Amino acid sequence: MDGTRFSELYSAYAAGRLDPAFALMVETQGALRGDVRRSVAASEMIAGALLEHESRAPLSAGALDRAFAAIDALAEDDIRVPAGDAEISALPEPLRALALEAAGQGGWKLATPGIRRLPLMSGGDLEMELYRIEPGARVPRHTHSGAEYTLVVSGGFSDEAGGYGPGDMIVKGPDDVHQPVGDADGVCFALAIRDGGLKFTGMMGVVQRLLGG
Amino acid sequence: MTQALAHLADGALRARHAECMEAIAQNQSREAFAELFDFFAPRLKSFLLRLGATDGEAEDLVQEVMVTVWKKAGLYDRRQASVSTWIFRVARNRRIDLQRRSASRPELEADDPMLLPQAEEQPDERVERSQMEESVRAGLARLPEEQLVLLQAAFYEGLSHSEIAEKFNLPLGTVKSRIRLAFGRLRGSLEEPD
Repeated sequence: MDGTRFSELYSAYAAGRLDPAFALMVETQGALRGDVRRSVAASEMIAGALLEHESRAPLSAGALDRAFAAIDALAEDDIRVPAGDAEISALPEPLRALALEAAGQGGWKLATPGIRRLPLMSGGDLEMELYRIEPGARVPRHTHSGAEYTLVVSGGFSDEAGGYGPGDMIVKGPDDVHQPVGDADGVCFALAIRDGGLKFTGMMGVVQRLLGG
Repeated sequence: MTQALAHLADGALRARHAECMEAIAQNQSREAFAELFDFFAPRLKSFLLRLGATDGEAEDLVQEVMVTVWKKAGLYDRRQASVSTWIFRVARNRRIDLQRRSASRPELEADDPMLLPQAEEQPDERVERSQMEESVRAGLARLPEEQLVLLQAAFYEGLSHSEIAEKFNLPLGTVKSRIRLAFGRLRGSLEEPD
């Protein structure tokens, strides 16, 4: 996955059109890869420049006063830093904040020996989970009801098709059977999105075609 | 429209906005905030209405974004982004955040990470960013109308290539090649377009 081929994904991300789960995946991939960062940055620069060119919609009377009133009411720093987990703290933002919060609420679940999973988003059409794979741990051989999109965040794993490292994105369709094994040299964190087999139209359809094609 | 975009290549407005951000960060300058508010708030509202927000939703989001500008002005770095790009990102992230909450997440209180400098960013990326900004601005001002409207649909309104093809009644392949060509030009020679 290079920085140009997926420009449609990055433009949709820059404009805020991407599903939140995929937005998080793009952000995380950008934190890992300079070429993705550059593509996203260029997309955002285009959007920013066009905002300068935007027409002006009249605001309600007193809008500026309202903003100053909100500023006056700002509490002195109410920034809450979630309780630390050294491994998760080392993950790139914005994944880090989301994972820290989910972990802080006792979200880790044991999948199989050596593998834990942390649900990050669910309830919509997409499910997103963070996987923690210990060295040599085997994910049981599995298929998928729909497509599964996996981004390696740190460490690495391999399956029948090859080895993957940080920043690599892997797509498996319903017909793919695979058995990932964590690399021997350290813990692997991987972010996975499953679409439950739904066929999407619009922007989600774009994502499926881009990543599956 | 191409002529109207000529000002994008001119750095004076960008420099002025950056000075305002710095005045807010350093001196809590209300005059500087009012100047940015006057420029950006009506444009943000127009943008949000274009995306389908109601008048009330747009007003509320504009308020949140502008208050964030006040709170986070200290994180702004003019070497990393123009103020308009930064504010666009604040608005975009706020919308994503609202979607994430409605997608069954509990409320996130952490600082918006997209506003923070990325730890992984290499030292030379900052220099590269300002060069890229120049390249993007100059390129936008020179783009033929037919490419500009497609870029606006893709990068600003976030339409997919097939939605753009339908909107402009163009073959999908034409949309893809025009956008690829234009995007490649704007990014200059930093990377080869494929």
